[in-house]
Amino acid sequence: MDTPLFSRRSALQQLACGFGYMALAGLAAQQQARAAINPLAPRKPHHPPKAKRIIFLFMAGGVSHVDSFDYKPRLIKDDGKMMDFDDARTIAKTGKGATQRVMKPLWEFKQRGQSGRWVSELFPEMAKHSDELCVMNSMHTEGVAHGPATLFLHTGTTNFIRPSMGSWVNYGLGTQNENLPGFVSIAPSLGNGGPRNYGNAFLPAVYQGTALGRTGQPAKDTNFRNIIPARSMDEAKKQFDLLREVNAAQLAAKPGDTELEAVINSYELAWRMQGHAPDVVDISKESPETLALYGIGEKDTDNFGRECLMARRLCEQGVRYVQVNYSDNSNNPAWDQHSNMPKHADHARAVDKPVAGLLTDLKKRGLLEDTIVWWGGEFGRTPYAQTNGTGRDHNPNGFSIWLAGGGVKPGFAYGATDEFGHFAVEDKVHMHDLHATLLHLMGLDHEKLTFRHDGRDYRLTDVYGHVVKDIIA
Amino acid sequence: MFSRPTICTLGIALVSAVSLRADPGDSEFFEKKIRPLIEQRCSECHSAEKKVKGGLRLDSREGWQTGGDSGAAVVPGKPDESLLIKAVRYRDKDFAMPPKKKLSADEVATLEQWVKMGAPDPRTAATVAGAKKQVGLSIAEGKKFWSYIAPKKIAPPAVKDTAWPRGDIDRFILAKIEEKGLHPAPDATPVVLVRRIFYTLTGLPPSPEEVDTFVREISAATNDKVTGRQGDKVNDAAVTPSPTRLVTPSSSARAKVVEKLVDQLLKSPHFGETWGRHWLDVARFAESSGGGRTLLFKDAWRYRDYVIDAFNRDVPFDRFIREQIAGDLLPAANSEDKRRQLTATAFLALGPTNYEEQNKQQLRFDVIDEQLDTIGKGVLGQTIGCARCHDHKFDPIPQKDYYALAGILSSTRTLFNYTDNVARWISEPLKLEGEEEKKFAAHEAKLTSLKQDLETAKKDLAKMKAVATKVSAGPGKSIAAAELPGIVVDDVDAKAIGEWSNSKHVATFIGDGYRTDDNLGKGSKTITFTPKLPKSGRYEVRFAYPPGTNRAKKVPVHILHAEGEEKVFVDETLEPPIGGRFVSLGKFRFEQDGAGFVLVSNADTKGFVVADAIQFLAEEEVAALDAALKPAPGDDATKRSDEDKRKKMDARVKEMESSMKKLTGAGPLRPTAMAVHDEEEIGDTQIRVRGLVGQRGAQVPRGFLQVAGSAPAKISGKESGRRELADWLASPANPLTARVFVNRAWDWSFGSGIVRTTENFGTTGEQPSHAELLDFLALRFVEQGWSVKKLVREIVLSHAWQTATGTTPGDPDNRMFAHANRRRLDAEAIRDTMLAVSGALDLRTLGPNIGNAGEINANDTSAQNVEYKYEFTDVRRSVYTPAFRNRRLELFEAFDFADINATFGHRSASTVAPQALFLLNSPFVLAQAKAAAERALASSSGDDERLANAFRTTLCRLPTEKERAIFSRALTGVKDDRRTEAWSQIYQTLFACLDFRYLE
Repeated sequence: MDTPLFSRRSALQQLACGFGYMALAGLAAQQQARAAINPLAPRKPHHPPKAKRIIFLFMAGGVSHVDSFDYKPRLIKDDGKMMDFDDARTIAKTGKGATQRVMKPLWEFKQRGQSGRWVSELFPEMAKHSDELCVMNSMHTEGVAHGPATLFLHTGTTNFIRPSMGSWVNYGLGTQNENLPGFVSIAPSLGNGGPRNYGNAFLPAVYQGTALGRTGQPAKDTNFRNIIPARSMDEAKKQFDLLREVNAAQLAAKPGDTELEAVINSYELAWRMQGHAPDVVDISKESPETLALYGIGEKDTDNFGRECLMARRLCEQGVRYVQVNYSDNSNNPAWDQHSNMPKHADHARAVDKPVAGLLTDLKKRGLLEDTIVWWGGEFGRTPYAQTNGTGRDHNPNGFSIWLAGGGVKPGFAYGATDEFGHFAVEDKVHMHDLHATLLHLMGLDHEKLTFRHDGRDYRLTDVYGHVVKDIIA
Repeated sequence: MFSRPTICTLGIALVSAVSLRADPGDSEFFEKKIRPLIEQRCSECHSAEKKVKGGLRLDSREGWQTGGDSGAAVVPGKPDESLLIKAVRYRDKDFAMPPKKKLSADEVATLEQWVKMGAPDPRTAATVAGAKKQVGLSIAEGKKFWSYIAPKKIAPPAVKDTAWPRGDIDRFILAKIEEKGLHPAPDATPVVLVRRIFYTLTGLPPSPEEVDTFVREISAATNDKVTGRQGDKVNDAAVTPSPTRLVTPSSSARAKVVEKLVDQLLKSPHFGETWGRHWLDVARFAESSGGGRTLLFKDAWRYRDYVIDAFNRDVPFDRFIREQIAGDLLPAANSEDKRRQLTATAFLALGPTNYEEQNKQQLRFDVIDEQLDTIGKGVLGQTIGCARCHDHKFDPIPQKDYYALAGILSSTRTLFNYTDNVARWISEPLKLEGEEEKKFAAHEAKLTSLKQDLETAKKDLAKMKAVATKVSAGPGKSIAAAELPGIVVDDVDAKAIGEWSNSKHVATFIGDGYRTDDNLGKGSKTITFTPKLPKSGRYEVRFAYPPGTNRAKKVPVHILHAEGEEKVFVDETLEPPIGGRFVSLGKFRFEQDGAGFVLVSNADTKGFVVADAIQFLAEEEVAALDAALKPAPGDDATKRSDEDKRKKMDARVKEMESSMKKLTGAGPLRPTAMAVHDEEEIGDTQIRVRGLVGQRGAQVPRGFLQVAGSAPAKISGKESGRRELADWLASPANPLTARVFVNRAWDWSFGSGIVRTTENFGTTGEQPSHAELLDFLALRFVEQGWSVKKLVREIVLSHAWQTATGTTPGDPDNRMFAHANRRRLDAEAIRDTMLAVSGALDLRTLGPNIGNAGEINANDTSAQNVEYKYEFTDVRRSVYTPAFRNRRLELFEAFDFADINATFGHRSASTVAPQALFLLNSPFVLAQAKAAAERALASSSGDDERLANAFRTTLCRLPTEKERAIFSRALTGVKDDRRTEAWSQIYQTLFACLDFRYLE
């Protein structure tokens, strides 16, 4: 029998216990209590899963698909021509399209690997993995501006307050390692929705994402909050022992209150975490070859390389959902090249090698089979120049992302945009569909993964979403 | 679009129309062409067998006749009016089917042909099983549901133990307990009770002296032997309650002591801080917008102060609600009331609005939805938001009611405008009184007059410049861009794509020559002029080019303005009509920060394309110019003197601009409040089919929830209807408002409500555990003039509220309230107590608490930095801690501060490891523990007394023998240089221990 998904109320009343929950130590009914009480206990999926975990490499700001994974010869042919386009932003504001100057890709496209997929020179390292990638060329989404689109990507809505995808996965499947959070967001941004992008909204607090570091903070200094004892180990131990004794004495005066026991237990867990968690983010024991694989130690790639490596380490330790953010706190995050498209190259340099390294490393360790790697941004960019300049505007109507590993077809491309790369037209995949598909790969039925709140069952995909079965291996 | 009733009648009409047309040939067409198409491309989502998306079935004739949420799918004979055809044509992105892939052109044509034929379809509903639609209660059924029935006056039930009840509340509670053959828990001990009373009413712990006084007075009243200072005996009772001792012959004397303390605390300014904070949870109060581009709400603190003040002054709750919904429309006794009332409407404005949403009509309806959600959950306990896209699936709230309410809010202005790239709220200037008002008024008068002078001077200058243009630089002469009125973008500042060479061949140019495409590379060259406009508004756009016979006759020029794009053609062989220099391209609206530009292209041209400059003239400037251009040019002497005058005027304008800037910066800034006001255009709105802003259905008269009202709403044609909405919400006849609030007050006092789903009194919510008590409290609340203080007083003075914690057999959730709930302290109380113990707490009330909260320019990319870079260092009470949406104080995050984005009147209380880590390792906790330790060591007392004091300040009680022993051991043998550390650890342990975190 499946452990039933917890209702908010019962989870709250039965004491949600954080990060992980070691059930009532010392009680006879430990095992039983554990299943009944622990909202993070591993839960049976709805159907046999293809993947056990997800690493989402979030490219904030919107990578230009027509400069990377969506090859459109027409753009080269018509480069510089003024043509009519249904520009998303102009339509949102005025209800009409506008004339725009077609801009050719700035990086040369080549066919790669056995599969012969077209990938540009923007990502030469990722290109080498073309035969592993399942590129979705027909993505489309909601929200023309970063805020709404970023929230949509993470929570399935541009404006309502809803749980993020990682929280849903955590809620649906529970955790595999009670000493670590089930959902970690590495270096999240405060911008474009900020904490809402890894928040639990109305799901119980246990399912919230835990931030590991923050954007702008060097990855080499990153750690979980409050994880390092503020005193010397000797003094910290003294203080902890004192607390243990006092709590035991106070509990003895109020026997049988499981909530108080849970508090005591949360301290025990915190104490153990102090011992474990810092090791997970400590990459000093990794081999020089591994470090080199991720570009750690090289100026351009050191930071994102460390974050990708941490993601692999977290996954190895049983974390279900890891998001690595390539972002910043600004309103025009990282990849947002409204002017100066060539700046894409700087960002590509920072992520290309680490991402390729992660794929290689996961594969080498046999982790890629049941880990989904998802690479992409909140939308793509226009095939034409913005205000006739040197950059591209946002394009939510057609863009590309790729998946690798965990049960998706390798060396595969799905769907297509029109001949300019502007609108998805063939085998369209809406962001809701991508959510549904990812949940499906994790063994969760997006229509069954619901939570009752304010008298209504909510789901990540609202009333939408189709599983894209064609990409499943 | 059609309203529901229309669909029905239309449906009937169609059936007969279709049956007349039965023809075997048609049927064959259907079978051969249409059926396979529908089955292949539509059935997956629109058939009873698979799914019925949007309520639409295409598996039978009746399916498309009735249609889905958007109405009938096919109008036989009329493809252009058929939604099915509209969808497959794929022209509207929000209404394109099938979603995954467009049908081929042939397939679309086939469907069109079928509809034109009259849509013959032999399939009947009888042949396919029906899929049931989930529908909510009808209004009539709803009126029979408990929460929509007006509260009934019921006499409190009789009880067996007549000595126990202290009032009517207790009779209702005790009766239920006795029904089960049980007894209520014994009384809480005085030490437990005093802490409970203080935290519940003020959110702060009692001082040791206050505990002593209370314990002494209770002892005296109950003739207990314990007198004077709180002794070990009483204290032991706090840990191991001895049930019978304090139950009483003299319980009424004891009650009087409690009453005295409660009355004293209800008068404390900290009552409003604590109970106001509860309401701030309901109002999803925050000081920034969060969402996409988070923006600081610089005036939100005024609303927070308004709420605190309202609870402290015990403003009747019905008035409190009225002010928040319609404060701007209500009469005000004086300007102070006017300010309060305007400030109150921030309730509607301070939601988590995604101001960055580019479709401003979408944004407008998102704001309305959020407001309805907040009013619904916060005031009525209703999930109104569920009816945005369709009738509520469970509750008796039809979609019509949603749009009846939405009409009121769409007649209300919440956004400053509907055009800014990043929208913003309304900052309403507040009127003051007396000397202060005079000071502002004087300053503003000065500003206004200076502004007028400046505008006149600018106009004069524009005229002079225009004359100069005409005189000194008629055709054949060059002129500097700065010499020209308006905003001029010269070709050197334009973005040129492709080879454009600079030329001075024809001498009529602006700046340093003009650009020419050299009659080469047709279709590959463009030049874009992007202006920096000083303000939003309508501008005349003029294009300067030096004409010539070799020029192109049809030069395409694109103007992208705030309302769309315009394309015009210019014949460059002709002399420009304005001063021989400019041709007008037309008048267009531009946003100050919008993406407007003018683009000249050489696509499809024959002959040379040239471009010199673009001039943007504000409408008023155009008038001045036209006037100026009339007089004839004078002689050289006049010209010279004109030039002198012009230079002087130029200098004067610059001077005035600078003094204007100075005056604005120096003067007192009139306070403003976040507020709403009525929209210029007021009226009913239409149902939006499936919630899509662009899909308008039938118009519905403005109104309220039908199920919760007796008479239809009467709404004035002159106002938005918020006044009437406020009256309806705050009416004693409304079955929900009073019930929902008394239930909240109960929840905030007891830790759980009579209805535990405090935001949901609908059919999917929980039933009340004590329905009669809830009605009793609601009616009593109204009778007592909606006084919150009287309500709270009655609750906390009840015997039920003053029992000890414990367990009740057969009632694990304590739904009978037979004992007190053990409650986790709120995040605020945890922080405030630590600060109080360390001596750092600053008890100043009210006022702003964020530095640099100046005027926010939503479109400034650094607007969010106040929030992102904010350092939480202040030590005021937590209710004043900046409530940012994207950045919370860490302690609040850890200890279940309510989700700041939506109405959550009941805080959850999780137990998670990050809380433990926070208490063990956070710099904040360590700093407070250390400061407390240093304070303790600075006193002359011995360690025993220090320990007693540490317990009394943190846990409001003395240590037990066991605790004393544990801590004594920790202090044994501590060397002098470790004493601060040892005491820090003691304080930290007390902050982290169970008895600190829980309220017994």
